[in-house]
Amino acid sequence: MIPAFSTFLALRYLLTRRINLLCVLGVAFAVWAMLIVDGVFTGFVKNIHTDVRSSSPALLLTDLPHDTSYEALREQLEADPDVTTTAPRLRHHGLLQAVQRSSARLRAESSQLEFDRARTNNGFALLLGIDPLREPAVVDLEAWLSRGPDQIARRGRIDPRATVFDETDLDRRSEMLVPDAVEHAARRRAGLPRDADASRHRSAWPGVLLGWPRVFANARASAGDPFDVLCVAFPTEDASGAVMRPHTTRMAFAGWFSAGSRLFDETTVLVPIETLRTMLGHDAYDPNSVDLVTDVAIEPRDGMTQDEVEALTDRLRKIAQALLPQQANRCSVLNWREQNETFLSAVAQEQAMMEIVLFVVMLVSAFVIYTTLHMMVTQKVKDIGVVAAVGGGPGGIGTVFLLSGVVVGVIGTALGVAAGILSAVWLNPVNEWLYAHVGVELFPRGLFDLDEVPCHLAPEWVASVAAGAVLLSVFVAVLPARKAARLDPVTALSYE
Amino acid sequence: MSTEKPPVLHAADVHKSYAIGNRRIEVLRGVNLTINAGETVALLGASGAGKSTLLHLLGLLDSPTRGEVQFSGEATSDRSAAYRAKLRNRHIGFVFQFYHLIPELTALQNVLLAQMMGVSVLGYWRARRRSHAAARQMLERVGLGERLHHRPSELSGGERQRCAIARALLANPSIVLADEPTGNLDSQTAAGVVELMFSIQRERDLAFLLVTHDESLAQRCDRIVRMKDGVVIEQEQVR
Ligand SMILES: Nc1ncnc2c1ncn2[C@@H]1O[C@H](COP(=O)(O)OP(=O)(O)OP(=O)(O)O)[C@@H](O)[C@H]1O
Ligand SMILES: [Mg+2]
Repeated sequence: MIPAFSTFLALRYLLTRRINLLCVLGVAFAVWAMLIVDGVFTGFVKNIHTDVRSSSPALLLTDLPHDTSYEALREQLEADPDVTTTAPRLRHHGLLQAVQRSSARLRAESSQLEFDRARTNNGFALLLGIDPLREPAVVDLEAWLSRGPDQIARRGRIDPRATVFDETDLDRRSEMLVPDAVEHAARRRAGLPRDADASRHRSAWPGVLLGWPRVFANARASAGDPFDVLCVAFPTEDASGAVMRPHTTRMAFAGWFSAGSRLFDETTVLVPIETLRTMLGHDAYDPNSVDLVTDVAIEPRDGMTQDEVEALTDRLRKIAQALLPQQANRCSVLNWREQNETFLSAVAQEQAMMEIVLFVVMLVSAFVIYTTLHMMVTQKVKDIGVVAAVGGGPGGIGTVFLLSGVVVGVIGTALGVAAGILSAVWLNPVNEWLYAHVGVELFPRGLFDLDEVPCHLAPEWVASVAAGAVLLSVFVAVLPARKAARLDPVTALSYE
Repeated sequence: MSTEKPPVLHAADVHKSYAIGNRRIEVLRGVNLTINAGETVALLGASGAGKSTLLHLLGLLDSPTRGEVQFSGEATSDRSAAYRAKLRNRHIGFVFQFYHLIPELTALQNVLLAQMMGVSVLGYWRARRRSHAAARQMLERVGLGERLHHRPSELSGGERQRCAIARALLANPSIVLADEPTGNLDSQTAAGVVELMFSIQRERDLAFLLVTHDESLAQRCDRIVRMKDGVVIEQEQVR
């Protein structure tokens, strides 16, 4: 039983001391910060996960030797009943340069490395060769192509959506060719040789799809514009030793994509896999050539459980390994998380760091409660003696201070939770209002390409923060309470 | 001679010593003292004789190093602090030289505090009207009917001591222990407070232990006990 006097004195002491208001506000602030900052962070992380997920195939066979042929792998992999389909991928480093008539303009826009802005202002590119006939089955290319112009539209420029995958002629589609008239117009703009009769022109440049962030360096690019793509094939041995063979191919700008993951969009350009194979010395018409792949994207059947996918992953890896030469390194089959492990774990680590910082804020406010209560006990020694003389037992006396801590903790937590939930609800309206009327943004949405600040307050997180804050304030109140309970009444009474 | 009444408090060979460093200070060296129901006892002695120490022991605020303090014939030294607190609350009232009121509380709240000890918040809430009425009546009895909502800092010394008396008496104790209750008051105010205490004592037939340096005040009690160097050296039955 809590004696009435404990509650009564605790409330009197709290109400007559302004420092307790500070304690309440401290707890409220810590709780609020833990909720809202972590809520926004969790929201961002959720977004990041969605984005990363949409930029990656469900499973990816990788770490293959660089003369691996797709056909043999495909047959065996697709023979597994749990595999819906596969798509070949060929990754290679390259350089990208817009072909322009005016050398002055070229100089003005020439590639520059700008490290201070997160923008692709240079021609370096990760060339990702895809099979336009197969790739749509493993990633949502439709979405990639419509998000690309959306991203750019957000920055005030209207670009058409790429149409290369809508081409009905399969040969033309697999080369990602732009419509004949479009290429002809582009040749005319660039002053390049062309048929005088536009209707007789047939597109010849394979298409290239750019990640939308490249719009900053290629502001004038419009459909069909020529780009020179350079890459260096894997070294081959000849009489004089290893030689590097650079190879340049002219391609036509076919449109923008946005896979969702900023990292992917900034680095990658999509090219037809056959074009890239040819550049690497494996022309499809050469009987000795190999249909090169560095990775195979795999789409498992729908509705598989976690365990089934894991079993499948294991199985596919073994199938693939068996097909590789004896001395080949171990290949791997990665799910979308593993494909982006470095990035995702960096994000997770950042969140953990931030939670630690917030926890320290919480500890500081708990410490303020502790010192306040401790001070209160010291100031109230005489009162404690009086209460004992009037008949207060040690338990009741300790409870005075324990309750003080609990009341501060509970009120602070309640305020913090209320403030946290309200700010989660009003975050976007307030952010927008501030932007519209004051011109400042609390959360710069543009930095993250978001329409609104994501905020995800998980009920379990709210509950555990609240419970943690209350427990912590009880915990720090225990020591001062014990000190008060153990005071000798006579000593307390004669305390000066 | 008063007729034989049951003892309220009884000190049997009470010793109290304090350790200061590695030295022991013997403050009480075997005190025997009985206070019977309804009896007024004056405790006199030079400063440092151990009067306050004895009063604290009799009031169960402290335990003797040796010997026993009995309350209504019941030994208390092996009882828990909580149990002794309960006995203090129900049966023993204290009045101190320096009033010892809680500065945050009004006169009424200071008096009511004693009513809040043995009950839960809910229990107190149910009985609050009765407690308030009793406390108000008690404060009116000591002449503070107009000062109910004043804080101690807003009261004079005499008024503070009257408030402390009201607090000591509210629970209707069987004994009041007063440690130089007028020691801090001018003679006129002191006289008023003394009159008040004795009249209430008579009304309620309380036992009363009064520590004082004032011989004439002591003469008003039933019995005078003199202490010196931690022992009772003389007991004189006055009436
Ligand atoms: N906690 C303590 N530790 C050490 N010595 C103490 C303690 N309390 C009291 N004493 C000593 O005990 C002796 C008696 O003290 P006490 O307060 O009982 O005297 P008193 O008779 O009430 O004197 P006064 O008339 O001045 O109030 C004093 O010498 C004092 O120094
Ligand atoms: Mg004294």
